[in-house]
Amino acid sequence: MTAQEVRLCGLLLREHFGEVVEKVGTHLLRSGAQNLRTIIHETGLPLDLVKKSLCVLVQHGACNFRSGRKGPGCPTEYQASGDRILRILRYPRYIYTAKTLYGDTGELIIEELLQRGHMTMSSTVKTVADRLTQNMEGQGRSMDYSEVTSAFSKLVETQFLQRCPPMGGARNTKDSGSPPTPSTPATPGTPASTALLTPESFPDCYKVPHITLIGRGKRRHSSDDGEDQKSAKKAKMDPETHGDEGIYWQVNFERFHLHFRDQAVISAVANKLDQTCSEIVRTMLRMSEVTTSPSATCTKPLSANEIFRSLPASYNILRPILDQYLTLLVDDPMEFVGKAGESGGGMFVVNLHRALANLARATLESAVQERFGSRSARIFRLLLRKRHLEQKQVEDFAMIPAKEAKDMLYTLLSQNLVQLQEIPKTPDYAPSRTFYLYTVNQLPTARMLLQNCYKTVANLIERRLFETKESKRLLEKSQRIEAILASLQVSGAEPEQLTEVEEMITAPEKQQLESLRLHINKLDSAENQVDETMFLLEAYVSSTATSTA
Amino acid sequence: MQSLYRTVMVKKELSRKAKLSIYRIRELCQQFPHGITDQVIQNDMPHLEPQQRAAAINKLLSLGQLDLLRNSSGLLYRMKDAQSASKMKGSDNQEKLVYQIIEDAGNKGIWSRDIRFKSNLPLTEINKILKNLESKKLIKAVKSVAASKKKVYMLYNLQPDRSVTGGAWYSDQDFESEFVEVLNQQCFKFLQTKADMSRDSKQSPMVQRNSSFATSHEVWKYICELGISKVDLSMDDIETILNTLIYDGKVEMTVIAAKEGTVGSVDGQMKLYRGVNPVIQPTGLVKTPCGLCPVFDDCHEGGEISPSNCIYMTEWLDF
Repeated sequence: MTAQEVRLCGLLLREHFGEVVEKVGTHLLRSGAQNLRTIIHETGLPLDLVKKSLCVLVQHGACNFRSGRKGPGCPTEYQASGDRILRILRYPRYIYTAKTLYGDTGELIIEELLQRGHMTMSSTVKTVADRLTQNMEGQGRSMDYSEVTSAFSKLVETQFLQRCPPMGGARNTKDSGSPPTPSTPATPGTPASTALLTPESFPDCYKVPHITLIGRGKRRHSSDDGEDQKSAKKAKMDPETHGDEGIYWQVNFERFHLHFRDQAVISAVANKLDQTCSEIVRTMLRMSEVTTSPSATCTKPLSANEIFRSLPASYNILRPILDQYLTLLVDDPMEFVGKAGESGGGMFVVNLHRALANLARATLESAVQERFGSRSARIFRLLLRKRHLEQKQVEDFAMIPAKEAKDMLYTLLSQNLVQLQEIPKTPDYAPSRTFYLYTVNQLPTARMLLQNCYKTVANLIERRLFETKESKRLLEKSQRIEAILASLQVSGAEPEQLTEVEEMITAPEKQQLESLRLHINKLDSAENQVDETMFLLEAYVSSTATSTA
Repeated sequence: MQSLYRTVMVKKELSRKAKLSIYRIRELCQQFPHGITDQVIQNDMPHLEPQQRAAAINKLLSLGQLDLLRNSSGLLYRMKDAQSASKMKGSDNQEKLVYQIIEDAGNKGIWSRDIRFKSNLPLTEINKILKNLESKKLIKAVKSVAASKKKVYMLYNLQPDRSVTGGAWYSDQDFESEFVEVLNQQCFKFLQTKADMSRDSKQSPMVQRNSSFATSHEVWKYICELGISKVDLSMDDIETILNTLIYDGKVEMTVIAAKEGTVGSVDGQMKLYRGVNPVIQPTGLVKTPCGLCPVFDDCHEGGEISPSNCIYMTEWLDF
């Protein structure tokens, strides 16, 4: 993990889980797999705090444990996974996607699972039903468990949720001499995974268990608060079983990523061509959702007949027109769609890796354009197309005066967006007898931009924390005043008392609070925007990794 | 065919026979304006000995009335232009030599150092001769656009070649960037309006796409009719402008096979250009100040430049 990634992971852990978890997590990220004693020794934290932090990390899937590498009898080692921690940044996007696809129920299910890490189906259903019922308080209805269960099943069918892999060989039944793993069930979730098994290698990964769960969501009344707590405690110790003990579910991030990737390709087609073409591509991708493996270069071939039958009913275009659109898509220089054969009216595939490469290239070009100007962007695109060029050729092709072109090239070179390749004419690299060619390598540049994205998000988070810290006093004051107001309202105070309390915050303070709120919102939304760029670049980099593997 | 010179000063009494042979050779030259070979002279005057023939030819050469040329089959003698002969009157052989070298360089011109190599004359002599010729308005110096200090010499009445002046985009050695920009925008507007018109026509998609294409010939005609250019632009010039639009990401190009003889086709192909929309919106990274920050690499927490005290962020947040 690079330093920037570790920094970002540390900030995310601190925001979501606190400083102790941050300390343990960053230590593990920096030093690789370690056993419990070493962690305690090197972080200087007490044993129970380290245990709890490891529990939290394991619960969220950010940390794996396995038996020691040095052979049997070795204590178990813990390894943190930085990728999983970076996903925390993308939680809002996952929740929003679930909302668009499956409505409020889906949104809450995903939100609960993201917050808790691993949960059983029955507990998820109950919690979500309770929350929905609370929201519907004004309408006097309550949410039925079966509705939530059906939404859950739909999510599992489309593979957005998956089972956590069950406790397998990591249980060390063979070597009884090893001490029991410290992260044993004090917590509701006990997932385990060896480094080799993925959740998908288990056949029941996407099978919905049969549970008996009948009832409705409970409404929470403020007067029942005390009762509720008691009943909550009772529920924990209550041996009420629903038939799915030990089956824990987690969010399938890969599936969400495939969905995001498809969306990116569809919107690119819509921008470049037109709406109908993007609908055709959307249909093709929908049909290949479950048949294409995540790392495939292109989708399985689909015949034009199948595409015609699967188009949404609202788009009633004639068959010959569809053929024309498909030909247009194939002829487009961006090569989103390719033709794989002639049977069935023409077999078509969506070129996923190529589309990702084109999107990554467009991202790089846009980054250069915004930062350095459109003429530098012209030089950058020219070098991307023509691979290697001498300085004189760059000036001629780009039609930029020599002095300015030289300046721009050197700026790009100093920022490492453009590289210099020397080709000597003589064995001694005499400058007057060497060719100097400028070139752009797309993959290393994409990686560099990705690291910049990590640093940018870390900067934004730090700025947000700084702004909050600066106005801490003001925020506390406003919170106190709100609490006073709320209690006064409940106890039925007069309007004059309320206004008197409200005026305790002066107008400039109110303004300051307002601007603080705006700043924080802006920083938050900026983080999400940078995360979109991060996703594109990460998908591109991983697609090249698999195609060369 | 290269000219060879032998500056041979022959001071000999010319016998009557020699004079006759000279006149005869001159007549032959006038008869065959393209030049005569040694063989022709020999056939005409078989009684003439080779030495005397050579002497006669040398005399004519030194008088400046004959040109000595070499081609693949041997030496050629050609009558010199009376006009050019008069031009060189009064100049000595060295100047004639230099002039000849410059003439051979055609419209690309030749650098003074190259003249020195070819004529083996010392530098001072060359400079004197060049100044002399320039004052007589026989040659001129043209500044090359490639290296601004270099001066190439060529004959006075020749048009300098494009590679020297830089062609249509240079005027007086200055790259006309505004001109290029204007042309750029005009071409783009033309292609964009064409694409918009075809999109609004609501015909079948194939027809739509084909009608949004414009050949390079059409664009060239449009630009010529606009009349914004003072110089005549060729189709190649327009194609270089269209290429810059491709590098701007605003235009894409395809090549189709075209019948020979259709207007605008070159070697059986035609280039078609079409305005396109960008594939993605500006990426998320550049919507933050960090994406555009010039001191991005120097920024870290606790340093002089850090996210907490970043002035760009402060401005951006208050925006």
